[in-house]
Amino acid sequence: MFSIKQITPWKTALFILMLLPMLLGLGYGLLYSFGVIGLLNTGFTTEHWSDVLLNFSFWKSLLFSFGIGLISVGISLVIALWMVVNWHHDLRKGKLSTLIYLPLAFPATVVGFFIFQSFSKAGFWSRFLYQIGIISKIEDFPSLVNDAYGIGIILASSFIITPFLSLILKGIFENEHVTKFQQIAKSLGASQRQVLIKVTLPILLQKAKTSLLLFLIFVIGSYEIPLLLGRQNPKMITVAIVDKAQRFNLNDIPEAYAMAILYVLFLLFLFFGFQRLAKLKTKAYA
Amino acid sequence: MRKHIGQSIVGFIILFPIVFLLILSFGKQWFYPHILPNIWQTSQWESLFSPSFQLTKSLGLSLLLSISVGLVSTVTAFYFSKKIAYSYNKTTWLSLAYVPYLLSPIIFAVLIHFYFLKTGLSGSLLGVIIAQFLICFPFGIIICSTFWTSQIQSLENLSFTLGGSTTQTLKRVLLPLAKSTLLLCFFQCFLISWFEYGLTHFIGAGKVKTLTVSVFAYVNEANPFLAALAGFLLILPSILLLLVNKRLIFKTSKKLADYE
Repeated sequence: MFSIKQITPWKTALFILMLLPMLLGLGYGLLYSFGVIGLLNTGFTTEHWSDVLLNFSFWKSLLFSFGIGLISVGISLVIALWMVVNWHHDLRKGKLSTLIYLPLAFPATVVGFFIFQSFSKAGFWSRFLYQIGIISKIEDFPSLVNDAYGIGIILASSFIITPFLSLILKGIFENEHVTKFQQIAKSLGASQRQVLIKVTLPILLQKAKTSLLLFLIFVIGSYEIPLLLGRQNPKMITVAIVDKAQRFNLNDIPEAYAMAILYVLFLLFLFFGFQRLAKLKTKAYA
Repeated sequence: MRKHIGQSIVGFIILFPIVFLLILSFGKQWFYPHILPNIWQTSQWESLFSPSFQLTKSLGLSLLLSISVGLVSTVTAFYFSKKIAYSYNKTTWLSLAYVPYLLSPIIFAVLIHFYFLKTGLSGSLLGVIIAQFLICFPFGIIICSTFWTSQIQSLENLSFTLGGSTTQTLKRVLLPLAKSTLLLCFFQCFLISWFEYGLTHFIGAGKVKTLTVSVFAYVNEANPFLAALAGFLLILPSILLLLVNKRLIFKTSKKLADYE
């Protein structure tokens, strides 16, 4: 990949700014998790790693985060596709074209707070349903935040992702001249449904696949939303790692580092594995 | 008709949080089952004009932090994106630029916290600026790399051929052309820093009280009214920036899509 001759000052500087902090962090975490360094560590041990690897709650957190990510991206994708396919003119001009940008200005912290205040048992929608007589007491409102299924987290994540995804899909729709392809397909006798399934969706999804993966990784790695809207069990993976790292029990810190490294490896595998797969597929088509 | 109803629902979903936060920021008491606060107050908003009010301090601190991170990230990202764009390993460097993003800022903070503790940067504003820069800078590279097209390279060469120096080429050719990319990069890095909570809280050890940290603090204190005010202050500048920036985002996202 790189030869020594190619190492120039700017590459060294870039390496120091972009990669070295992360490598130092991973190196420290690795040594700590194997007991080589750290306050209470006494020497090399694989105990912390086996504790994490054999711990059901770690895998549960990882799978829970992955599931929440898939569902959130899935919901956002369906809504964004529906909006772009049906309203692409309105997304380009008019009120909707400005409105769709507004959620981009909402930080995850604010979205988490808003979802909590509106969807909790004492929140806005519970009060609204009480006032119009649909529920008669506070307990009748379903648990939508701090719940076991992560509904609040999914609501908040979808709220954040959908506008981004709509704008990306809208961009692809215009850049790839999807309307022209649709017209050609129609003139060749394709039905409305065939145009959607065989022309529009494949073009949009093919071009948006990297963005979808990045959104999935964004949800898996989100911290503020699960902190506000999640609960102790099951926990999103980021919250589980930070909880262990910040506990008063110093014996938990090596496990926190082991979990963090496993999480990083999982995401790198997901991202670069996907890119490799996409490249192989492109080559196969060529 | 169906389209109008659908778009009205979307409009409601988008605008409701802004109105809701604004209403809640004027509340003093909100007992169940009242839909709106049963006691109102304006003192929270009035306190914002007092420099000793914690939220006013947080607003100033957040602005200082985000502007610093935005500026430093944009300048360094612009410089390195050019080097990357003209190098043989362009694709590798750009792929590596995604890695800090993949890591999630909070996990990055957990892993590098030891070094901030050792250097005495933990719990300081400078420490948070450095930590946020490490996240924003690679993102800035991804944005700025879209600027360095073969057309820009040809214009740069033309300037040199016509006798322009490196400084003249930068000042008279590259910077005017890169204005929208630089602005977009600054705004995006500003917003990443403005929105950041986990890393700021972890590296800042709770001492660097930005607006996002304040929202959490007020939520933990069970004070939804101040949390709503802090939240509203968080979205206000970003909405203004985004509306100004709307055209820039569209232009660059088009370029990014072309690049892919």
